[in-house]
Amino acid sequence: MLQTISETNKNFSNEISQVSDLKQLENLRIKYLSRKGIIATLFEDLKTVPKEDKPAVGKSLNELRNSVQTQFDTLKEKLEALSGNNKQAVDFTLPGRGKSVGSKHILIQTLDEIKTIFRGLGFSIAEGPELESDYNNFSALNFAPDHPARDMQDTFFINKDYLLRTHTSPVQIRVMQNQQPPVRAIMPGKVYRNEAISARSYCLFHQVEGLCVDKGVTFAELKGTLVSFARQFYGSGFKYRFRPSFFPFTEPSAEMDITCFLCKGKGCRMCKQTGWLEILGCGMVDPNVFKNVGYDSEKYTGYAFGMGIERIAILKYDIPDIRLYFENDLRFLKQF
Amino acid sequence: MKISLNWIKNYVDLSGISSDDITDKLTISGLEVEDIEDKAKLFDNFVVGYVKERKKHPNADKLSVCIVSTGEEDLNVVCGAPNVAAGQKIAFAKIGAVVPNGGFKITKAKLRGEVSMGMICSANELGISDDHSGIMVLDPSLPAGMPLAEALGLNDVVFELGITPNRPDALCHIGVARDLAAIFGRKMTLPEVDLKEIEEDINGAASIEVENTTGCPRYTAKVVKNVTVKESPEWLKQRLVAIGLRPINNIVDITNFILHEAGQPLHAFDLDMLKDHKIVVKNAMEGESFVTLDSKERKLSAADLMICDAAKPVAIAGVMGGENSEVTPETKNVLIESAYFNPSSIRKTAKRLILSTDASYRFERGTDPNNTLYAASRAAQLMAELGGGEVLKGTIDVYPQKIEPLKVNLRYARITTVMGFEIAEPDVKNILLGLGFTILSENKDSLDVEVPTYRPDIEREVDLIEEVARIYGYDKIPPVERIAIALEEKTDQSAYQDKLRETANSLGFYEMITNSLQPKEIASITGKTIDMLNPDSLDMASLRTSLLPGALIAVAKNLNVGQKDLMLFEVGHVFNKIAPEIKSFDDFSEENKIGFIITGKAQTTQWYEKERAFDIYDLKGLLSAFLDKIGLDNELKDLYTHVENKNFDYTFAKLYKDTVVGFGGAVSKDVLKKFDINQEVFAFEFNIEALKSIQLEPKRFKELLKYPKIVRDCAFILDRQITCEEVVNVIRKGSSALLKKVELFDIFESGNLGNNKKSMAFSLEYFDESRTLKDEEVEKDFNRAVETVKKELNAEFRGI
Ligand SMILES: [Zn+2]
Repeated sequence: MLQTISETNKNFSNEISQVSDLKQLENLRIKYLSRKGIIATLFEDLKTVPKEDKPAVGKSLNELRNSVQTQFDTLKEKLEALSGNNKQAVDFTLPGRGKSVGSKHILIQTLDEIKTIFRGLGFSIAEGPELESDYNNFSALNFAPDHPARDMQDTFFINKDYLLRTHTSPVQIRVMQNQQPPVRAIMPGKVYRNEAISARSYCLFHQVEGLCVDKGVTFAELKGTLVSFARQFYGSGFKYRFRPSFFPFTEPSAEMDITCFLCKGKGCRMCKQTGWLEILGCGMVDPNVFKNVGYDSEKYTGYAFGMGIERIAILKYDIPDIRLYFENDLRFLKQF
Repeated sequence: MKISLNWIKNYVDLSGISSDDITDKLTISGLEVEDIEDKAKLFDNFVVGYVKERKKHPNADKLSVCIVSTGEEDLNVVCGAPNVAAGQKIAFAKIGAVVPNGGFKITKAKLRGEVSMGMICSANELGISDDHSGIMVLDPSLPAGMPLAEALGLNDVVFELGITPNRPDALCHIGVARDLAAIFGRKMTLPEVDLKEIEEDINGAASIEVENTTGCPRYTAKVVKNVTVKESPEWLKQRLVAIGLRPINNIVDITNFILHEAGQPLHAFDLDMLKDHKIVVKNAMEGESFVTLDSKERKLSAADLMICDAAKPVAIAGVMGGENSEVTPETKNVLIESAYFNPSSIRKTAKRLILSTDASYRFERGTDPNNTLYAASRAAQLMAELGGGEVLKGTIDVYPQKIEPLKVNLRYARITTVMGFEIAEPDVKNILLGLGFTILSENKDSLDVEVPTYRPDIEREVDLIEEVARIYGYDKIPPVERIAIALEEKTDQSAYQDKLRETANSLGFYEMITNSLQPKEIASITGKTIDMLNPDSLDMASLRTSLLPGALIAVAKNLNVGQKDLMLFEVGHVFNKIAPEIKSFDDFSEENKIGFIITGKAQTTQWYEKERAFDIYDLKGLLSAFLDKIGLDNELKDLYTHVENKNFDYTFAKLYKDTVVGFGGAVSKDVLKKFDINQEVFAFEFNIEALKSIQLEPKRFKELLKYPKIVRDCAFILDRQITCEEVVNVIRKGSSALLKKVELFDIFESGNLGNNKKSMAFSLEYFDESRTLKDEEVEKDFNRAVETVKKELNAEFRGI
């Protein structure tokens, strides 16, 4: 009898290991666990076992029944879960109920990144009007009247005294007129250029300028700050260079270049074979600008810089046509 | 501006320096190389060949077969030119050469049975001239095998330089050479003038009178007689062609050459065309017309400075000469004008006439007033040499008040203060001397520097510091990373609008940026436009007066490409005229706004829901969620009886106290038609400054409700015109303070209810912060509310 029990146990283990669906399992249950199944029959046979053997055989038989039942239950649970007995209730392949979240314009996202970096470097953020006076946009920034430097920026004039700002530098003037040094601020905003609209130029663009004025501010610090910004914004692995340039409101003036993203400095069409891409203009604030806002240029020095957001995003995201920014095709907006 | 490296080498010794090095150094010291044209590369695989033998082609009458020596080997070459002969030195294209004119590549070929291992070229094929009558025969002294580019002097590198407006001195070859001399520490050599003048005195041949000495501080003239106007010699033509100029004749070419050599624009007059051989420099008469060299008639203003003779204008000073006095092939006697004009006067004229020339470009940036005599003399000498002319004795030089060089003091310590790096004293001095500055005196702390008059941009100490730093090299100044300690309060004026953006995003709105410049008829739809004086195109004639038109343009654009369901917003400035003329910032308004626009389907058909179009209640709900998120939903009131607005079919406004802070509604069909939009559009615009200025109570924690809420529902049949708000107000009127919230949850009309009737169902919420309410007291309150509605609104209570 004990041997039969042991064999039954072995057979069951064998057979249950072959079961792969609920139907086979049900057959197995009928075979072993039903009222006329093998285990019930064995309990029937227990009656014929000699009295002295009964406790041992009975115990063994109970163990067999428990073991079979447990194995059966475990597998049943597993198979039910697998075969999706709840299939009619949940079809995970149905699309979820839609909820949509919008996004900021890619130019604003780029601006946000830049603002975050400069906030970390201790800069405030200042804004100002787009329709400006000629004085704030040019004269206060050391653009002499009738100087060809004014041709560097094609200007939309409202009349001889008012215009659409060509850079956010007038905000620098407004900040300095309202505050004594130290000043440490960036000025983001829209600026306008009176140019024909094409794939490469638009009549407006976004700019971020920065201004830092204090005792002991130097060109070396300007370099350090901008390299630190560029490393955070573009990532490491790029080389930077500063080369002399000209802006009426800074002296000395410089432009900052980064190794070309496309050719990594070897020279290609994008960088006009130079291996470098220009990313921003900068310089030490011209003493005439300080004079115009009432700062003492013997006591204070300062630096300023400015960059165009459209150009930065064009380089970073490989956008082929500047007009895409302003057409607001939802398919474009949703990409970012 | 184009600069030829070969040309520059006449003034500075650049031996041993590669053109790549020159390119880099020019750029990093401030003369940005925007493009490089390496002419020698065009003539790779072209050499000087020697025709050893020429015999007739056995199978073709017009061809010959030559043995050409390339110095290394003798090659069999078939040639079709009639003028090829043994003993000639010729331009030879080897296998692999690409012929500049036509761009075809030379390969080994068989012509009528004879092998040809290259090509003997004509000047036309080389792209050097139009001459295609035969092959180009070279100077017999050239050695066979010499690279052709070198033999023809075409081994030039031409730089396209981007010269900033502060550097008029660098707009010529001598100027660029001067920077290179300073950068590489090399010596400059300027061409010396050695004039052979004849006995006849210039004062008998011409006279100069300058009426406006402010506009023309200096006028220098030389006269050359008996010149022959003819083609320029090769070397001169080569110089001009290299920088993209077309040679005309020796006289004109010489003036162009001097301009690009020394930066001084010259004008050559036919002396015999000048009445009384006289020059008068004076202002034009208002409205006078004048025909310039390009045969165009120009209308002058009284501000324009003119060069006249005894009777008539002959040139627009510093801009362009006149047809009536230009040098022609018949010209015999030439008056050379070499003047210094006031930069701003020239600029005004050139701007007004929209006429920018090589001369005006330089004059308006500032030429060297003390270089006119040198330039005139050098031109006279070349005219004598190249045109066989005779230079009259002396010069007429009207220069009533000499422009003296500036003296500027430079402190070494100040260089360190500005740059944050100490540049050694000898370096400072060498750089300044190399650039042509004179050190007048010095002590241990500073230098007194005389600034040459070709550098009008250098006026102050800081200008000298830039000169020193740029030649020293910005890259040699190590960056200093200083951590700013924020002692002052940091502000962020953009933070509020950024919060609005993020809130709009969370509701599903995508941000757009539209053009703030619009055609006037578009911008006028929504306000009083401010117009541009000088727009490049009428598409950007006016500033937007509202965010609505730009948003509608974006909607139309999207509909066109099949994007029909849109939720968009924009943050931007809008501009409206207040006074008829803008004389101050009070005469117009510039407001920062946020505008929302929705159109199409709020819900497309899905497996779980039917499609539904956006309607005004979507707009209302979205705005309410938006305001709630920024803490303003309870602060603002809706106003539905806002003034009629032709741009909206129906409108509502948001009010703070009694001020409208936002406005919008369903955009009118008429407006939509203008933008070719044929679906409903809902739009709303808030004034950001108005929202921002609303003072909110600082947020404080509120005790969470400890006692249960009791909710009672009720429905009424009411006259159709009764609004939801009216019912809510009456319910509140009939209730005690225990009623905390009334919400509409169902509304419908049906025939069963009766004519002009509707059913509205409300949910009423009661609680008290300090105790549990008893059912009876709520019941009493609720019944009173129901009774009040029944009585005051003639409503029928439907229970629930
Ligand atoms: Zn590249």
